[in-house]
Amino acid sequence: MIGPAVHVRSPESGESNRVLAYWAPDETVAVWNNLSKGITEVERAPGGPCPPHLRKAWAVPPAEPRARCVGPLEQVDGYGVFTFPYGPISMGVPEAGRFDVRTYGERVLDIRPQVGFKSRRILGSLSGLSVPDAALRIERLAGPFAAAHAAAFLAAAESAEGRSIAVRDAWTRAAGQELQRIYNHVHVLARIAEAASQNVGLAQAHALAEDLLRLTAATFGHRWLFGAFLPGGPPSHLAPADRGPLRQSLDLLTQRFERLWATFQDSRTFLDRIQTTCAISRDDAVLWGAVGPTLRATGVAWDDRLRTPVPPYNDLFLPLATEPTGDSLGRLLVRVLEVRSSFLLLEQMLERWPRNEEEPVAPAAAIAPGRGIARVESPSGDLVYDVTVTDGRVTRVSTRTASDANWPLFTLGMRDAVFTDFHFAWESFGILFAETDR
Amino acid sequence: MPSWLQMAWERGILTTRYPREGARAEEVPVTGRPPVPVSALDHLTEAPARCPTGAITLEAVDQGKCVRCARCLGVGFTLSGPVESSEGRRADLVWAGGLPGAQTNDGLLAELGRSVHVFMVDVGSCMACNLEVLALSNPYYDSQRLGIFFTNSPRHADVLVVVGVPTDEMVEPVRRAYEAMPAPKAVIAVGACPISGGVFAGTGGLKPSLEAVIPVDRFVPGCPPPPIAILHAILATMGRSRTPPGGR
Repeated sequence: MIGPAVHVRSPESGESNRVLAYWAPDETVAVWNNLSKGITEVERAPGGPCPPHLRKAWAVPPAEPRARCVGPLEQVDGYGVFTFPYGPISMGVPEAGRFDVRTYGERVLDIRPQVGFKSRRILGSLSGLSVPDAALRIERLAGPFAAAHAAAFLAAAESAEGRSIAVRDAWTRAAGQELQRIYNHVHVLARIAEAASQNVGLAQAHALAEDLLRLTAATFGHRWLFGAFLPGGPPSHLAPADRGPLRQSLDLLTQRFERLWATFQDSRTFLDRIQTTCAISRDDAVLWGAVGPTLRATGVAWDDRLRTPVPPYNDLFLPLATEPTGDSLGRLLVRVLEVRSSFLLLEQMLERWPRNEEEPVAPAAAIAPGRGIARVESPSGDLVYDVTVTDGRVTRVSTRTASDANWPLFTLGMRDAVFTDFHFAWESFGILFAETDR
Repeated sequence: MPSWLQMAWERGILTTRYPREGARAEEVPVTGRPPVPVSALDHLTEAPARCPTGAITLEAVDQGKCVRCARCLGVGFTLSGPVESSEGRRADLVWAGGLPGAQTNDGLLAELGRSVHVFMVDVGSCMACNLEVLALSNPYYDSQRLGIFFTNSPRHADVLVVVGVPTDEMVEPVRRAYEAMPAPKAVIAVGACPISGGVFAGTGGLKPSLEAVIPVDRFVPGCPPPPIAILHAILATMGRSRTPPGGR
């Protein structure tokens, strides 16, 4: 079985490296099966089985059989077919990017995302900066995924320099990433609810997202975690003696999320609207290198936190969520399961925060002298950084973000859809123009 | 639908008391407040060297360049200024001696009465500012109670909220959006990026600031600014920045 291939291409030289391409399905660990089974199969989880007192029985309805809705592709040219440009300024997609839709009025024959409007030339501007200064810009590459970008960039730079970090720093990065993952998944739920005009649910989801941002700010000093992993960053309250806000809020927020999702599950109109919308096949997902919830929603069990476990993920129980359907509903369900698993991870972190905080964690081996690669699972999927550091200064950075990988799947899924499917499809992928226009 | 109703009932009213009362601590993160020096600015010689964007000099603190990275915290600064204090015209953002000057409040759109329509344009942001602006419609801030509505077209808009550092590619689109707006109109630059370039200042292919592209009436510094600050800036352009008790 071919897994998601990763090409790390340098913008300067254009050279391309294939980093990791193959995996075997029998290596799959800790499969948190689809909705019909709940949390049942746990095999060879890196941190052992789930601690019994953390096991929860979530009421989950059986998965329903669904028909695939992809018919034969229509001719992209023909009588009355024209290109409908959507963007780069629109309130529907709150970012600067354009979609060129080939259509004859209602059906989307083909959709071509036009990126590059908001290219901030970040990677090219990093040469000569120190690692913390470069990290300030990397965090602002994609604000909602700042924790994942900062963690991946710093890990790659540390691998390049052969510099170890304290155990506490590794755990802090993981805690920040999990909190941000929960926020992003709830935000996707809110955006889909908005598209479906589920206004009560939208208000509640928005409120929960704001709760999560406030918890992030109370814990890490910044709503979007900018600077939280850097020396001299905002004041953090994650030290064992002082993590009151996180400990107090986790249970409450978990309950609020479960209530929210239960009410969405009651809304048949909501589920009907996203079921079968923008379905992609497992073969396409693998062929085009989809990552993250997009890939896992087609039944492929792939998660960087399990594939390349770094501390603390190799110590913790992490159930992996997959769904077989490949449609917007499947992607949303994967996100819902991941919110639960992230809450579970945070609970475990608080319980098992290491006593040997100052002990060093060795970085990954450099792939060449002064050059390191790191992968983390960002909220939208696998994120790779390739960083070269010379004499403490960053000399070259290239990256492959989750959005880069998932663009083709969105365009494939949108073929043969109608205009009104657009937002239900687009929001379910979690693609950011900011991640591609870097 | 009993579950929806029950859930809304249980959570009660979430909406902030702002602007009737001041912003509360949990509404503004520590990094949402402007940095102020604890002693005379010209004694704090280490702070300018630590500042990554050059916001801090020995003479003044330029809140428009500050990205709230908190590196100046250990060397004579605290992040403790009131959240609205740094927002205003570009000249108001440069604090001589590190202390805020008088705030100008022109009430540019006061003639429109008590309601404005807002259109947001992204000209090269990281998406954090976009989400902070959109957060104004969540139940915690509920901008609609103050007559602030988001609209889907610049032709219906009174206020243009611009986020991000202007890229060469977005100059023409944002200029056209500005020209499409009917007068009277106001432009609010949200975040360090459209004010000064923020951390990206000096990169080729980017404009130095939004002012180089279209006229800007108000600036909201921060990276990103908290929603309360954005709300205050919109109220200030409506001439309602200090709403007295009673909501008028």
